[in-house]
Amino acid sequence: MNPPTSETGSQFITLLASLMLVLQVLLAVQPMLITNIRIFALQSLLLAAIAGVVGSAYHAGHVYVVAALTLVGKVLFLPWWLERLVRQIKIEQEIRPFVNMPASMLICGALTVLAYVVARPITSLERLGSNTVAVAIALLLTGFFLMINRRKAITQVLALLTMENGVMLAAIALTTYGMPLVVEIGIFFDVVIAVMVLGILVFRIRETFASMDVSKLNELKW
Amino acid sequence: MEGIPMLLLTLALWGYVTGSLAGLVCWRREKLANLFSFGSAALAALCGIGASVVCLAGSATSFEIRWEFLESAVPYLKFSVRLDPLSAFFLLIVSSLGLALSIYSFGYARSFYGRKRVAVLGAFYNGLLLATTLTFVADNIWLFLIAWEIMALTAYCLVSFEHEQPETRDAGVLYFIMSHIDAGCIILGFLLLFQMSGDYGFDSLHGLGAKMSPGKRDAAFILFLLGFGIKAGIVPLHIWLPAAHPVAPSNVSAFMSGVLIKTGIYGLTRVCFDFLGTPPLWWGVTLLAIGMISAVLGVLYALMEHDLKRLLAYHSIENIGIILMGLGAALMFLHTAHPVLAALALIAGLYHTINHATFKGLLFLGAGAVLHATHTRNMEEMGGLIKRMPQTAFFFLVGAVAISALPPLNGFVSEWLTYQALLQGFGTTESLVRLVFPLSGAMLALTGALAAACFVKAFGISFLAQPRSEHAGKAKEASPSMLFGMALLAGACLLLGLFPTHFIRLMDPLTHQLTGQQLSARLSLADGLVLASLARDTGTVSTLGMVILSACLLPVPFALWLVFGRNSKTRRGPTWDCGQRALTPQMEYTATGFSKPIRMIFKALFRPRREVQREYDFSPYFATTLRFESHVEEVFERRIYRPARILIIRASRRIRAIQMGSIHAYLLYIFVTLLLLLLFAI
Repeated sequence: MNPPTSETGSQFITLLASLMLVLQVLLAVQPMLITNIRIFALQSLLLAAIAGVVGSAYHAGHVYVVAALTLVGKVLFLPWWLERLVRQIKIEQEIRPFVNMPASMLICGALTVLAYVVARPITSLERLGSNTVAVAIALLLTGFFLMINRRKAITQVLALLTMENGVMLAAIALTTYGMPLVVEIGIFFDVVIAVMVLGILVFRIRETFASMDVSKLNELKW
Repeated sequence: MEGIPMLLLTLALWGYVTGSLAGLVCWRREKLANLFSFGSAALAALCGIGASVVCLAGSATSFEIRWEFLESAVPYLKFSVRLDPLSAFFLLIVSSLGLALSIYSFGYARSFYGRKRVAVLGAFYNGLLLATTLTFVADNIWLFLIAWEIMALTAYCLVSFEHEQPETRDAGVLYFIMSHIDAGCIILGFLLLFQMSGDYGFDSLHGLGAKMSPGKRDAAFILFLLGFGIKAGIVPLHIWLPAAHPVAPSNVSAFMSGVLIKTGIYGLTRVCFDFLGTPPLWWGVTLLAIGMISAVLGVLYALMEHDLKRLLAYHSIENIGIILMGLGAALMFLHTAHPVLAALALIAGLYHTINHATFKGLLFLGAGAVLHATHTRNMEEMGGLIKRMPQTAFFFLVGAVAISALPPLNGFVSEWLTYQALLQGFGTTESLVRLVFPLSGAMLALTGALAAACFVKAFGISFLAQPRSEHAGKAKEASPSMLFGMALLAGACLLLGLFPTHFIRLMDPLTHQLTGQQLSARLSLADGLVLASLARDTGTVSTLGMVILSACLLPVPFALWLVFGRNSKTRRGPTWDCGQRALTPQMEYTATGFSKPIRMIFKALFRPRREVQREYDFSPYFATTLRFESHVEEVFERRIYRPARILIIRASRRIRAIQMGSIHAYLLYIFVTLLLLLLFAI
């Protein structure tokens, strides 16, 4: 089926996607944990909006379902749950990454360039939202970098979630209808479960090591 | 005609699935679980026999039926199965042994009541039968590999069924490791093939070797030889076999020895004859050489064993060697463009495959019955069982005669065919390579003689004379279902031995498929009563004739007695006991003693060690205790596997340096790999 090449829709999606990337870079340099969680919520909201636009452009009902799931799960539930977790275990608010803020920003920039280079064969396709693939890969790579750069388990969970946002973005924007609904729901529940498990793990790590710093896990090695 | 085998095979596959689940449903009701799981396995096996017989008997030339027995939602993965003559032949093996084993298992599983979960045994047993059947009929690489892996895992679970014993756990782990090395080799081999064909279906692999470069073809052959060789248990990749077979429950050991290791033979046949095209000479020579080494070393190590099931396991290695001799010779004949001889050698090898499945299955079942009754696998603690378990003894004897290649049973027929193929091979080529044929013939003769010696020992020490232990003295005859299972296999041994020409007719489609020849008409004389070899002057044999002849000769001694001996007096007296007061089991010939001459002849190989410790109070002539130990060196374990293990552990220690225990480092590894791959993709 030929996708309707709606010019405004395409531009709108690109705009939203680039905003997601901006928020991702903001995550890399923002030191406050609670703010980080809220930035993530905002990013997910943009993702939900993209899903909504794609759904209306293709008149694909199940993409609306994805949008709704994202809205409920990643915009409302997970941020709320993570904030509660932060309050419960009363960790300090400041994130101290391994690489300092300016350097992180540069690395994020480099990764974004790499993402655009890698995605070139796909972005050259004339399709609705095909240029968002580069953004999606950039989200993935920077998310990965964030995960390596953070010390505390909870910030790593956050980074993982932004990576997952990238994957969702690619899935929604690239494939014509998004993926089959079953796959999307599957991924979604995977993420929720992963966050739950990681949340419990955070408690455990703190109980055992009296800290949330995963660097201390190397004491487990014999 | 196509519909019936399809239906039967599908029924068989689902029958195994049902059997697996049905047992688990009645988890706590042991009797029901036993009945359901093994009953359903028996019915499924019956369907499998039906499917293969309809296929093999129904068509004179090659046939091929393919269909999908299950819809698959995953791309590339198709659950498509095929029944071509080769698959149908191996399906016959797995199903007929499966039938006998399932019937035997009704009685055998009772020994686990209250001790172990019969449901678990039944579930894994059905799973193993299912996976093995699927391995034989899989029509694409994925399904084959999945079935192969399930087969390895279910077999592992069955080997470790009695995991309370440390010995069992060790054997299970060894089997697990070896089966994963073999799976790895096979996956690599298939990848090489896939690179060339671009498709996963077996159809696209047919005759692929002609299109491959020689280097890749040889690499694929070596990978498959290693992979399937481990499964088949060729020397020196055999070490899992004598460890795993004895500790598994006996119905499972029978299956492993009878069918599971034959999956290696199936794989080699499929790959060498179907996929890789006309072979270079050295493939055949390699197989033949491996066959010789496996046969001779297998039987020699078997002779040194006192553990009845380990002894049988070593004999499996020997028989795999004999089968490989046939296959190797067939490959050589294909190279020298003698398709008729190739067909003969192939018939010999595959005939021995089904023969080994029947008689080795029978022997393991017999050993299982003995183990069940005496609670020991050590032959030195048995003895006198022929009085206590006469029927088991009879069936074990049938198996022993068959495996020793004595006429008129089936082992004789296939070994005779192997001799014929090997001896006629001498004339096929002018090069020096032809010397390998008489040499392998001689090795086969040596193997046969040693096997006979070994089973004189196995039967004599276990079943004859007086009981050597209290357990053996209290042994009871096996239950009817166990005896019936053994009787089925003994009957199969007899039929396969007496009517070889009729059975070879079933193999016509098979040889037609793989070599383009059909030999059954040329191999049978006098309406199939006499088995002939191809050349007129090399010989014919009729097992049925031998039986009839000896039946006719039976009255002769009686007549002689009537004429000459009627007037002589019959005296009855005690056995000569050298003046001792009574004969005790301690005076009996032991297994160690029996095999001593052979141990001495092959001293260079066995490097026997012995320790004698005597303790005495006042004079060395009156020892109070005497301790005697004798060991045979396990050459492969010491010379190959131990150094390899040390090397691997040392290398692993080095590599462990990258395991820093820091999550960030691990994430970084993944990230850098990802980036490199991305850059590589640009």
